[in-house]
Amino acid sequence: MNAILLRGVKKRYPPREPGLAPQELLSGVDLEVKRGEFMAVEGQSGSGKSTLLHLLGGLDREFEGEAQVLGCDLRALSDAELAALRHTQIGFIFQSFNLLPALTALENVLLPDYFGSGVPDAERRAMEALDRVGLADKAKAKPAALSGGERQRVAIARALVARPPLLLADEPTGNLDARTGEGVIALFKELHADGMTLLIVTHEARVSHAATRVLILREGRLGPEDAQHSMETL
Amino acid sequence: MRTGKLVRLARGNVVRELPALAVSAGGVALGIGCLVFFLALGAGLKRVVNDVFPVSTREVEVVVPSLAIGNILGEQKLDETIVEKLRKIRGVSAAYPKMQLRIPAVTRYNGLFFGREIHMGLEIVGVGLMPELVGTDAHAPFEDAGEGKPVPVVVNRRLLELYNKVFAPQRGLPTLTDTMLIGFQIPVELGRSYVAGKTLPNATEGSLLLVGFSDRATLAGVSLPLAAVRRINARFGADAETYSSVLLRAQSADDVSNIAAAVKRMGLEIDETERSRALQIGAAVELVTLALSLLAALITGLAAINTMQAFYASVRERTREIGVLRAVGATRGDVAAIVLAEAAVTGLAGGVVGVVLARIAAVLLDRLARTGLPDFPFKPESFFHFRVTHIAVGVAVALAAALLGAFLPARAAARLDPAKALTES
Repeated sequence: MNAILLRGVKKRYPPREPGLAPQELLSGVDLEVKRGEFMAVEGQSGSGKSTLLHLLGGLDREFEGEAQVLGCDLRALSDAELAALRHTQIGFIFQSFNLLPALTALENVLLPDYFGSGVPDAERRAMEALDRVGLADKAKAKPAALSGGERQRVAIARALVARPPLLLADEPTGNLDARTGEGVIALFKELHADGMTLLIVTHEARVSHAATRVLILREGRLGPEDAQHSMETL
Repeated sequence: MRTGKLVRLARGNVVRELPALAVSAGGVALGIGCLVFFLALGAGLKRVVNDVFPVSTREVEVVVPSLAIGNILGEQKLDETIVEKLRKIRGVSAAYPKMQLRIPAVTRYNGLFFGREIHMGLEIVGVGLMPELVGTDAHAPFEDAGEGKPVPVVVNRRLLELYNKVFAPQRGLPTLTDTMLIGFQIPVELGRSYVAGKTLPNATEGSLLLVGFSDRATLAGVSLPLAAVRRINARFGADAETYSSVLLRAQSADDVSNIAAAVKRMGLEIDETERSRALQIGAAVELVTLALSLLAALITGLAAINTMQAFYASVRERTREIGVLRAVGATRGDVAAIVLAEAAVTGLAGGVVGVVLARIAAVLLDRLARTGLPDFPFKPESFFHFRVTHIAVGVAVALAAALLGAFLPARAAARLDPAKALTES
């Protein structure tokens, strides 16, 4: 059963200057991701990887084509329904962590609990999530007091707290040093082993190597991994 | 999104944005401080006016019109029959006739007056009142005890105030309280006048016994029991049948206009002198309060605009953060609610600070008035009267101003495209 199904998805941005043609970042993307799959999408900067991820997370609704995530037709869902889908079914991880500076690590992890119908047994789950990423002892620390790797792990714990079946990550190791990045990749492998579906956009080969399938986003289309291209991105 | 969680999230953001929001809250506090200050000042001054001119909204004073045709022909008069008719007007709950002492009377006092020897001679103006009208203001029976007995009198409180604040300081006399004077007797000569040719042939001596101070008492003299005035007028052959005025008490303030119309239909008139003066002064106070309150509202309005700018800036700065909130499941409504909750916290803080500032300013001004202003009649202990409603209005207006100011930024935050918000640097 598919966790993600895209058919002919196109995404255009308005021209940057009057008189120029609209910018087409995705030009008919087809994608099938099975439940429990660990997929990496590679591509150069500006190739549309983040756009694809935002689209899959229901954050960007202005596109053409068919898009189904966990059986839901994204184009048919209302804004509130999309919010509920993100709240319960999708975990997001961003390159720049995106933690709220005023909140502690634990409060950041608890953020999904503030919305919708909350997260059942949220406090315990948040501590479990922090424990899983090895930061149980930093629960009361503010993001400013954490290292880059620790912040990303808090962000991962936040993505996991609602126990979503699908994890979308945008360059999750982009701002981490090699050693910290390896730790995050190991964590993704663990999550995959637990049955979670992961779709990670990256331009780092070390992340792609951990995935069970790698696709390349090039010229607005997704295609199979190309050895030569992989070398280029390295 | 549950209220508790919303408040927790908003509180964290407010703490983080404290410097910027403190400026907004300060603006709101200034506006609300002015508003509450002026409202309390208006209420305080109104209270002073009510003390000086105590007017009941349920009472009217009926008199014979001075220019009525019937009056010229000697037909228009306020006698018992008319009083009975007045009592029967719809909406009238009671009628209290009053009678002028229609003979001259003087007092001569030579002796000690609270430690000071004085020599005093006064023409006395007297008005007869029904004992029910004076009520508990009289500390001894306010009834005619009969010929040869002291006549109980009540004096208007305002006369005591004028004595204490004007007369006593100028003459070096002691200031007095009502309890010091109650029970005081002064000799009186009924039928005698200091005006040549006005003294009546059978003038007699007697005494007046001060039994209390009342707002019901006449301002121009002393008030005696109606029966005593009637007896004295009759004894000297003066008119003891017709009344000088009748006080009508309405069942409710809404009945007053109907009663006034009925009175006019009877060819009588409502004495508006005191009432209209009080109403005019009251209206002037209200007008000034309104103008100052509008000024305060303007300041609050500017504070709302300042709040709007602060929240626009805040939303701009937190664009990416808003994207994150949307990514973890916040709806547009949640985002708007968070911004509005922050505004509410800002407004409430501004409102509370504003009320406290108004209170402090009032205390300081009262202190200044106590020490800096000379003593004058009816000088109040405080020029301010803070009502719970003023505080409630102040806090509510502060809240409304902050919410109004944050409305457009909240809408803008809610409308942010989450995908674009997440890519904001």
